[in-house]
Amino acid sequence: MSDKNHLVKPGEYRPIDLLAVAASREVRDGDVIFAGTGLPMLAIMLAQNTHAPKATCIYEAGTIDGKPIDLPTSVGDARCGYQASIISGLIETFFGQLHCGYIDTAFLGGAEIDQYGNVNTTVIGDYNAPEKRLTGSGGNPDINGLARRTVFIMVQEKRRFKENVDYITSPGWRVRKWPGGEYVHKKEVYGKYFRGGPEAVITNMGVFRFDENGVMYLDTVHPGFTVEQVKDNVSFDLNISRVRGETELPTKREIELLYNVVDPEGIFLT
Amino acid sequence: MERITIKDAVSLINNGDMVSFSGFTIWRRPMAIVYEMVRQQKRNLHIADVNGGTHSEILVGAGCVGIWESCWSGHELYGKLGEMVADRHLNGGMIIEDYSHGHMVARLLAGAWGLPFMPSAMSLGTDILNPDYDGFNKAGLRDGSHPSIPSKKYDIISDPFFGSGDILLLPAINPDWAIVYASQAGEEGTIRVNAQTYLDAELIKCAEKVIVVAEEIVPETYLRQDPKHNIAAGYAIDYLVELPWAAHPTGSQGYYDVDGDFIKAFYQASKAQSTFDKWADEWIFGLADHQAYLEKLGITRLEKLRANNALGYSKRTKRGTR
Repeated sequence: MSDKNHLVKPGEYRPIDLLAVAASREVRDGDVIFAGTGLPMLAIMLAQNTHAPKATCIYEAGTIDGKPIDLPTSVGDARCGYQASIISGLIETFFGQLHCGYIDTAFLGGAEIDQYGNVNTTVIGDYNAPEKRLTGSGGNPDINGLARRTVFIMVQEKRRFKENVDYITSPGWRVRKWPGGEYVHKKEVYGKYFRGGPEAVITNMGVFRFDENGVMYLDTVHPGFTVEQVKDNVSFDLNISRVRGETELPTKREIELLYNVVDPEGIFLT
Repeated sequence: MERITIKDAVSLINNGDMVSFSGFTIWRRPMAIVYEMVRQQKRNLHIADVNGGTHSEILVGAGCVGIWESCWSGHELYGKLGEMVADRHLNGGMIIEDYSHGHMVARLLAGAWGLPFMPSAMSLGTDILNPDYDGFNKAGLRDGSHPSIPSKKYDIISDPFFGSGDILLLPAINPDWAIVYASQAGEEGTIRVNAQTYLDAELIKCAEKVIVVAEEIVPETYLRQDPKHNIAAGYAIDYLVELPWAAHPTGSQGYYDVDGDFIKAFYQASKAQSTFDKWADEWIFGLADHQAYLEKLGITRLEKLRANNALGYSKRTKRGTR
């Protein structure tokens, strides 16, 4: 058994596996988590099967602390409700759980992110004459805005890591105060509802965190990549002075759980 | 409450009406009604949805929609983007008003409770609140002369009671029609859904008129044995249609799963208007009614989707690569 806790060797896992494992390590035991569809689900279910059995997961469509035995393909899926403590709806999740302050950690995705952790899932280019229209916000900004901490899971590409996103769909540490639109610290806009903000960004190349001023820095690099390679895939001047080293590899047990227990059907781990 | 055919129900919806749909992305959408709306060539509809999905992509693609107010459009795992909403955003032809998911919940809740607006701290600091991106204002529709369009997208006021700081106010939504898919309806219109309630109960309350398409109509006494699972009383429902498989290709907990292959094929077709039109000819205009649609889908396909009685979803669909 003990050798299942051994780390796998580089080449014995796929990039998406490390993404899921690194994200799962951000889950704290006992956390109340609000998660989006896809990799966030894998990360939480993996954490619940390893170091965080008491983590609770809320999906915005209405299920609270479900124990799915088959991986949901979306947060509205019938599978989310298996053995849940409560099955409810959107009033409960958005107001009764999120707005009133129960949520410790948000696990979300995004198309673009900037150095302040602002995320864009709405348009590429000018909103009034966009190059590309994306899905829109969904619950991303609501959940991220009112959770105590947020972990974003994203694809690492130069065009996705911007100095400033084209459209702030979801709030980072430096946001806009309306109606004027001046850029201020999130605290100034959220007031008594300020509870925190983006804490980590996990990509296929590394783990990023935010400093005291709410600016992104590189924390660890995934094995097989160099700091320079990560820097080349970010379009702002990334702070690499705080790099702690390499991201810890997955264990054999984590990989087995991912493929045999969490996603045996190959839905997200295709 | 009146029992009615789907054709007659849809004929009551006028061009230009404001409509909201039950369900959540690709679950419990009243698809049979959506198809009939396309068949009857409704035009210039104002959709105000808590979130979008396959249903609204079909209506937008078919040219039924003049205004789309919501927060998200896509098909979950089965199609990354709402290609039709995206096309209209890039190329025009439809007014788009983006709110967040929580905002839409707040707005429909205000409508349901008979309030003019709802306070919230959701999605502050984002470009959703950027006045330059106000779709109705750009279209010159915020002059107060359009009953379904508020004179402002939102307001921010200072808490007048506890001095706790700024709070966002979001205008209520009271659509002409709530178009709802329900798992079961009683003979007198009591409504039950089998799982997550989403925003369905509030949708019923916020609308002027309510059409429910139910998977099955059951004796009232059956629903009243266990009233805690019911979400609306019969007096809130105006028109009731019974139609099995009415949510296909979206899922209905306890009855059938999402038809992922069907939605994937639609998503591919929705990437261009010409392929969308071909898809609509094949699956909507080329079929007389819901019965013809089910016959075209065929028993084998539907049996695979049928939910396991204990779990409420199918164990026979191939969802992934293994």
